[in-house]
Amino acid sequence: MTLLSVKDLHVTFDTEAGVVEAVRGVSFSLGRERLGIVGESGSGKTMTGRSVLRLIRPPGRISATQMLFDGQDLMRASEREMRALRGKRIAMVMQDPKYSLNPVMQVGAQLMEGLRQRDRVGRAAARQAAIAALEAVQIRDPERVMTAYPHELSGGMGQRVMIAMMLIPNPDLLIADEPTSALDVTVQAEVLSILDGLVRDRGMGLIFISHDLRLVARFCDRVLVMYKGRIVEELAARDLLSAKHPYTQGLLDCLPRIGGNRGPLPGLDRNADWAKA
Amino acid sequence: MTGGMITVSNLSVSFNAKGRTVRAVEDVSLSVAKGESFGLVGESGSGKSTILRAICGLAPVTAGEIAIGGQKVPSPRGRAFAARVQMVFQDPYASIHPRHTIDRTLSEPLSIHGIGDTDARVMQALADVGLPAGFRFRYPHQLSGGQRQRVAIARALMLQPEILLLDEPTSALDASVQAETLNLLARLRETRGLTFLMVSHDLAVIDHMCDRVLVMQQGRAVEEMTRDDLAASRMKTAYARSLFEASADRMLG
Repeated sequence: MTLLSVKDLHVTFDTEAGVVEAVRGVSFSLGRERLGIVGESGSGKTMTGRSVLRLIRPPGRISATQMLFDGQDLMRASEREMRALRGKRIAMVMQDPKYSLNPVMQVGAQLMEGLRQRDRVGRAAARQAAIAALEAVQIRDPERVMTAYPHELSGGMGQRVMIAMMLIPNPDLLIADEPTSALDVTVQAEVLSILDGLVRDRGMGLIFISHDLRLVARFCDRVLVMYKGRIVEELAARDLLSAKHPYTQGLLDCLPRIGGNRGPLPGLDRNADWAKA
Repeated sequence: MTGGMITVSNLSVSFNAKGRTVRAVEDVSLSVAKGESFGLVGESGSGKSTILRAICGLAPVTAGEIAIGGQKVPSPRGRAFAARVQMVFQDPYASIHPRHTIDRTLSEPLSIHGIGDTDARVMQALADVGLPAGFRFRYPHQLSGGQRQRVAIARALMLQPEILLLDEPTSALDASVQAETLNLLARLRETRGLTFLMVSHDLAVIDHMCDRVLVMQQGRAVEEMTRDDLAASRMKTAYARSLFEASADRMLG
C-alpha cells in the first residue's frame, strides 16, 4: 500500500544571485517501509524531507506534479489541513537538538506541550506519557531529564528527547533527518531498533535521511542516493555497499576502515561526467 | 608515568548540577608520548570530551594531576600553555566567531601573544590547511562546514603548538569532507611532529588516526588498546567488545 507518493518535486529558492534549485525533479513512493535518502550536505535530501510537510519558507518554493499522502493531496491542502497532519500523522525528527528544542523551556514541558494543547490530555496523564516516551528511547533517568533544560543535555540525550517527542502522537509517517548522527554507535543501535520496532509493529512509514551509507545499508529497505538535487541511483539497501554508480562508490571509498592501511583516504572526484548535468 | 608529552594521572572531574554531583570523569590516567596519536572512544556522556576540556582548564578538576611535557599545568592555564596546547572543537558552526572575518579569527591568537608578521602568517596558515587566499576576508557563514573546520584547525595551529586536542573534529562533516579533513590532520601531524589526543565515537576514525586508544564508559577508563589489538579484535572487556561489534560494518573488507 502506498502511503506517500511524490512525483517531480522541485524546490527552488529565489536569491539575489539568481534562482537556486535545491531539489530538481525528485519522484518516489513510500509504503509502510524504511526508505533511506543518502547524499552529502547540499544534495537536497533535507529539503526533500521538509517538502513533504511543506515546511519550506519563502523565498523557497515547492512545486510537484503530485504529492499524495494517504489519498490527500499535500500540494492542495490548506495551511489548516497541513497543521492537522503535522506532528499527528506525519512527524519529523530534526537534525540538531541544539537548534530544534526550545532552549528556555524544560524538556518535560516541551514533551507535554503537544499532548496538553492538541490532545487536551490532563497534566498527570501527559506527564506519564512523556516519561514513558523517554523510557522508550532508553533514557536512564527520565525524572531528571524532565526538569532539565536542553543545554544541560548531551547531544545524544537531546536527540533522543526529540525522537521521544515525535513518537508520542503515534504518527503514520516519520521523517527522520539525521536522527542518529549525533549519537555514538551503541546508542545509535538502540535508537534504530526503536524506530525499527515502530515500522514493524505499528506499520509506520519511515523516511530516513542520513549521510551515513553504512548505517542506511544496514537499516533501511530501499535507498535513494541524491546528488545536487537529483536522485542519481535508487536501489535495495542490501545492494548499497556494492553500488555501481561512481558517486555512491566514491562516498563509500572515502570512509576509513578498522584495520585499513592508514594511508590518505581517497577523495571524491567531482569532475567526472556524472557530476556535471 | 613520566616523560610523556601529555600525562593525566588519576583525574576526576565532577560538576554540581541542581544540588547533585555528576561525576563526569573518575580516576582516569593516560599518557601520550611525543609525536604519538592517542584516541578516546566511548558513548556520549562517557567523559571523553571532559578529559580534553579538563586539560585546557575548561572543566573543574576535583582530583588528580595533568602534566604537559613533564610539568604540572598551572591554573589558570595562561599563555605559555596556549602556545603549546590547542584544541579543535566538534562543531565548526559554534566554535568560530560568526561576526569576525577569517582574518580576524586567525590573527587574534597572534596579537594576544605579541607575535608580529601577521600578514604572512595568516596567508601561510590558510595555505597550510588548503584554503584559497581569497577566503581571508570572508565571514564564517560564507563557508561550508568542511571549510570552517579547516579554519578551526588553522586557528589552532597559529601559535605552532606541539599538541592538538581534537574533540570529534570530523563528526559534523560529510564522509567525503571527513576524508579530506582526516588527510589534512594526518599530513600536519607528520610534517610538524604534532602530538594528538583525539576524541571520536567512530572506531574507524580512531583506528585510522590513532596508535593507541582508551575505551571509556560512564566516566571511567575501561580498557586501553593498541591499534593492532583493535584491528584483531583482541579486547578484554565486554564493553569494548560491544562497542567494537556495533562498529562491525566499519571493518575492512
